[in-house]
Amino acid sequence: MKYILMTGGRKAEWDAFAAWPKNDVQAYAAFVNSLNRELTESGELVAAVGLAGPGQAKAVRAAQDGTPITDGVFPEAKEFLAGYWIVDVENPARAYEIAARASAAPGPGGVPMHNPIEVRQIMSGPPVEFL
Amino acid sequence: MKYMLMMQGCTKANFETFNAWQKKDLQAHIAFMKNFCKSLGESGELLSAEGLDAPGQAVAVRAGKDGRPVTDGVFPESKEFLMGYWIVDVKSPERAYEIAAQASAAPGPGGVPMNMLIEVRQVASGPPEEWS
Repeated sequence: MKYILMTGGRKAEWDAFAAWPKNDVQAYAAFVNSLNRELTESGELVAAVGLAGPGQAKAVRAAQDGTPITDGVFPEAKEFLAGYWIVDVENPARAYEIAARASAAPGPGGVPMHNPIEVRQIMSGPPVEFL
Repeated sequence: MKYMLMMQGCTKANFETFNAWQKKDLQAHIAFMKNFCKSLGESGELLSAEGLDAPGQAVAVRAGKDGRPVTDGVFPESKEFLMGYWIVDVKSPERAYEIAAQASAAPGPGGVPMNMLIEVRQVASGPPEEWS
């Protein structure tokens, strides 16, 4: 079963992250690297992706003629995806266990963040009746 | 340059409206998406594409004090759920926006283009150098 584990936050939270002391950022990056290595070794990691900051995000819509309109505005409360893991696991409980590991990533001062991780199953394809 | 194109902006309530679509409208929407993926595959720009399960199945997980998963987290009512995404490798941001506009115009009820919002974000190739 494939699950996507997503982490992110509002723009203010991203800005706070940018103000972390360098050694805290390094400890966080080392934690993520080691989690990724472990999930690679267990054969469960399908993909791990990090995204550029929300300042670069564009809200795009098609105009009537199909050309892109790129001046869309995101709501103030919008949560921006920071990154995600896709894991292929035996059961949902294992996906939650991995999400809890990611949730306990070290924050400022090395204190576990306990931030929420959104866990969603990935569909293998559209329902048969749609085809 | 790698970009992630996200089909965003669906609250739980919005998602319910899909259930009211007529079968042929759903089929046209899916056929469009399959074609769209196929043409991006042929142009060599598609790196990956995934569809996610319904927002009703989403679980908010936190680590408890002991590191065990706490799965009874609640999403805010207004939360916009990711429906699916494409990751493309393109020459320029403009090309990413062009592809996003194509996805945005996917057919909705009655075959009318939905012109839905697509969030376009660059994918980081790795952590910034100062992190390591």
